[in-house]
This record gives sequence, C-alpha cells and structure tokens, in this order.
Amino acid sequence: MEFFIAFFNFALAMWLAWRHEAPSAVYVFFAGLVFTAALYLRHATDALPLSF
Amino acid sequence: MDMTPKLAIRLNALALYAVSAVLVLAFYWQLAFDELPCPLCLLQRVALTGLAVGPILTIRHGPNPANYGLVIIAALMGAAIAARQILLHIMPGDAGFGSAVLGLHFYTWAFLCFVTAILAAAVMLTFGKQFGPQPESRRGSFESLAVCLIIALTGLNAASALLECGFTGCPANPVRYELLN
Repeated sequence: MEFFIAFFNFALAMWLAWRHEAPSAVYVFFAGLVFTAALYLRHATDALPLSF
Repeated sequence: MDMTPKLAIRLNALALYAVSAVLVLAFYWQLAFDELPCPLCLLQRVALTGLAVGPILTIRHGPNPANYGLVIIAALMGAAIAARQILLHIMPGDAGFGSAVLGLHFYTWAFLCFVTAILAAAVMLTFGKQFGPQPESRRGSFESLAVCLIIALTGLNAASALLECGFTGCPANPVRYELLN
C-alpha cells in the first residue's frame, strides 16, 4: 500500500505540473520525496540489518 | 551551440522518453520473467518517476533552473537507494538480487541511470540562454506524448505495487501478487 501511495503522489505531482501552476506540483513533489525517504529508512534499516 | 528554450524543451521531452524506456524495461522483466520487484527495487522505480516532474514543469512552463534542481534532488534520492542495494550484495560470492542484464543487476543499472540524470541536469544548467524569453507555444505532440506516457507508466506502477503488496506492508522478498491470492 505504501508504494502505491508513493507512485500516486508522483503521478499527482506530474499531473499538477502539466495542468496547473508550478508551485502546487513542487509542493506535492517534495511531499512525495519526504514520503520516499521515510520508506527508504523503513525498508533499509528496520527490515534489513545496517551497520555503520 | 545555442541552447534555445525550444531545444531545451525538446531535450527534456527526450529525457522523459528515456525514463519511460527504463520503466518499460523493468515492467517487461517483471511480467515476462515473473520477477516481482523487492521494496528497494520499488523505491528505485518511485525515484525514477520523481525524475519526471522537473522535465514536465520545463515542458509546460518553460526552462527554469529550479526544475533541474528537482531532477538532481530526485536522482540523489534514487542513487542513495540503489547504492544501498548494491552494498547489500557487494560481498564476493553473493549472487545478487534478481536477474543480471549485460552483466549488471537492475539496481546497478538504476544507480548508473541516476548518476547520468544528475550529470545531464548539471550540464543543462550550464546553458544559460535557455532561461531567456520563452516562446508562446511550448507543447508539440512530441512533448505531449512524452508527458502522457510517463504519467500512464506511473499509474501502471501504482496499480502493480498495489497488486503486489496488497493493503498491508510489502514483504522483503515478494514471490506472489498479494491481491491475486
């Protein structure tokens, strides 16, 4: 489900970029980026062992 | 060579076709060889779709340095994810995850794609003339088709991710479509 939301978010950003003004697309783009970063941290640290 | 706004828009449309080609290839491998993408693979696809927002803004509203900034940010995110997966399988003797194409696994190709996107955006930023006065009509059928294609592919990826993971968290090593079982 979380990946569906991430793809949907960027599809929405693309549609806003195409059909509406630029700022709304940029806001949605950054929301998607934060969501993707959260997913990355979840799947790269919780589910997989990390050692730095 | 003069980088006119029109040429910059055409190059951005070509970039959209390139991203679409990568997504189509990943989709083909998923369907033809029944290789379901892992969570990190899905995240790389998400970052690939994120690459498309900047070029669409350029095609619709004209060249702007900020649009190339969006490409670089999305590519950095994608490169970080791909590098993480490369490091997971970097030990000698590790077979890696999934198939290899031309000797490299998909996550390695993804890393190269993201690095290429960063380089391409940086090179485009060096051509300042494109940020001058904009032409009235920027959208030809070539550009419109590129935008429609990438939005459709992102929608298909959303549907595929929903089928694969269902309404709960995605398994670390998916072997079946959760919604089809």
